[in-house]
Amino acid sequence: MKFFVCCKQVPDVAMAFQIKDGELQKDDLNYVLNAYDASAVEESLVIKDAVSELDLSLVLMGAEKGKEALRKGLAMGANDAFHIEDDAFEGSDSHAAANVLEAFFKDKEYDAILCGKQSQDMDMGLTGGLLAEKLNIPYVTNAVGLEVNEEAKSILVTRQGDAGQEKVELSFPCIVSCSNDMNEPRIPSLRGIMQSKKKPMNKVSVADLGLATDAVGKSGSKSTLLSMDFPKARKAGEKFEGEASELVSTLIDKLTNEAKVL
Amino acid sequence: MILELNEDQKMIRDSARDFAEKFVAPVARQLDVTQEFPVDLIKQAGEMGFMGVAIPEQYGGSDMDYVSYVLMMEEISRHCASTGVILSVNNSLVCDPLLKYGTEEQKQKYLKPLAMGEKIGCYGLTEANSGSDCASMKTVAKKDGEGWIVNGSKIFITNGTNADTFIVFTSTDASLGNRGITAFIIERDMPGVSVIPMHGKMGIRASGLSELVFEDVKLTDEHRLGDFNKGFKVAMTTLDAGRIGIAAQALGIAKGCIAESVKYSKERAQFGKTISNFQGIQFMLADMHARYDSARLVTLKAAFLKDSGKNYSLYSSKAKILAAETATFASNKAVQIHGGYGYIKEYDVERFFRDARITEIYEGTTEIQKLVVSSTLIGR
Repeated sequence: MKFFVCCKQVPDVAMAFQIKDGELQKDDLNYVLNAYDASAVEESLVIKDAVSELDLSLVLMGAEKGKEALRKGLAMGANDAFHIEDDAFEGSDSHAAANVLEAFFKDKEYDAILCGKQSQDMDMGLTGGLLAEKLNIPYVTNAVGLEVNEEAKSILVTRQGDAGQEKVELSFPCIVSCSNDMNEPRIPSLRGIMQSKKKPMNKVSVADLGLATDAVGKSGSKSTLLSMDFPKARKAGEKFEGEASELVSTLIDKLTNEAKVL
Repeated sequence: MILELNEDQKMIRDSARDFAEKFVAPVARQLDVTQEFPVDLIKQAGEMGFMGVAIPEQYGGSDMDYVSYVLMMEEISRHCASTGVILSVNNSLVCDPLLKYGTEEQKQKYLKPLAMGEKIGCYGLTEANSGSDCASMKTVAKKDGEGWIVNGSKIFITNGTNADTFIVFTSTDASLGNRGITAFIIERDMPGVSVIPMHGKMGIRASGLSELVFEDVKLTDEHRLGDFNKGFKVAMTTLDAGRIGIAAQALGIAKGCIAESVKYSKERAQFGKTISNFQGIQFMLADMHARYDSARLVTLKAAFLKDSGKNYSLYSSKAKILAAETATFASNKAVQIHGGYGYIKEYDVERFFRDARITEIYEGTTEIQKLVVSSTLIGR
């Protein structure tokens, strides 16, 4: 079997962010493998141990630095990686990203493409769905469990829906977007890190994919990020103490006269 | 001049950080209370490759450099200095001398399982009446035909409670002082070896501290590590590198103090605002971080010199002075910032304060390091 995991490198959301003039200050940021993608890698590795044979490739589009995220996935246990790197990607939205991935996958053989259900930086959650549409293959979102049926060439996905968990069976080839509730991604051991240096890291450019430069980056995008800002700090709520009967009348008074909602 | 970690080093730091947050931090406080050696945690650390970071792959190690070892030590010690010292002793006081002075047979038999984390090592130099003055040791190895008979005892031995393999320094010719010391590899299950756990330490309380007692322990020449009467050199060169690990441990403690203090100062409100708004607190945080950063640079330089095959002994001494004093300084300030809460066990800085103190004492006191540094300046 052949699986791909689509990876993205994102700023470490645990760090303090700085925004200046509506732009995120990127110099001091630490970049990491998107946590949802890490869960997709982990789940693939669990499947790899359970089935007769699974070859796991990673693919990432992004700046040169992005190879660090791929190396983490390789150190976890993936077989090889494809790094689609081009300055032309600057300013891509999900649509432009899906264009690139479509071009990448169109001549590839695969049984399943896994991706994170969203990225931790933009939280759009669109790329997987757009890619499935472009490749015209079945797609399920927000997976919390995967079971592969080698004989039937299918995958049984447990997905977290609004009203509970649903089980959906997809035939290969397909795309599944993964939740981080699915597993605890393994931490690469030093041996894994050492071995990851020797695994193939294939460089791919826009030209290699036969894409016109206006299909990617800002010109290939359908949305534009205008500016960024921190959410406005909320004022601390008011606390009232005392007997329940007094508290209720205070509350009704506030809701009627201050909040004017009653 | 490039002052940036390479990709491998960043990955190792991140793995060590993730491991420490996920597995070390949740148990650190309990380890301090129970004083129990963290058997399962050390097994996991071994599987991660943390027990022989800078040992070549052929001998079971992770084949990384000393800078990586420093980064691993710092991240683990940021949450638990006991776990840090356990790893430090196995890496630099046991695996390192076996790699440097061991025969091929000794490397296969002893180094490999230690570097893979299947076995645990300890380093026996200190005795009840022999600390910085190690030439005064009373543990004796007496020639017995082709072999040796060892009698004596060692105290304050980290990892002793759980170690399988001991590096032990013995007097083989008391009349020669430092030049009459020989190092041996002793196995825990040899007849005549006993281990007596020691309790009641102020800090790093889960490090398996023990007394090792040797009564007519019979050894062959295959147990000798390095040349006859050259044990002092084995001990000193081992400690030269060991100090880099202890400096990294001290940096980890300081880092923990800074992180906890920043967090607390942004939560704790007095006089209508969080205490992070007060210059008195801000200045303490700035002092802690400035000292931490400078000590870290010197420690990384010591490791870098070792990786470059250059003489690092002067820098390892400077690193240990600076990092250890930074750890005690930062932990003192961290308790101050936490006020009364810093004085109770519910807050980690109380533990960090106790853990920090040892870094100025073991593997060569700050004063001994100052002798090393000043002798280079004065030229004696």
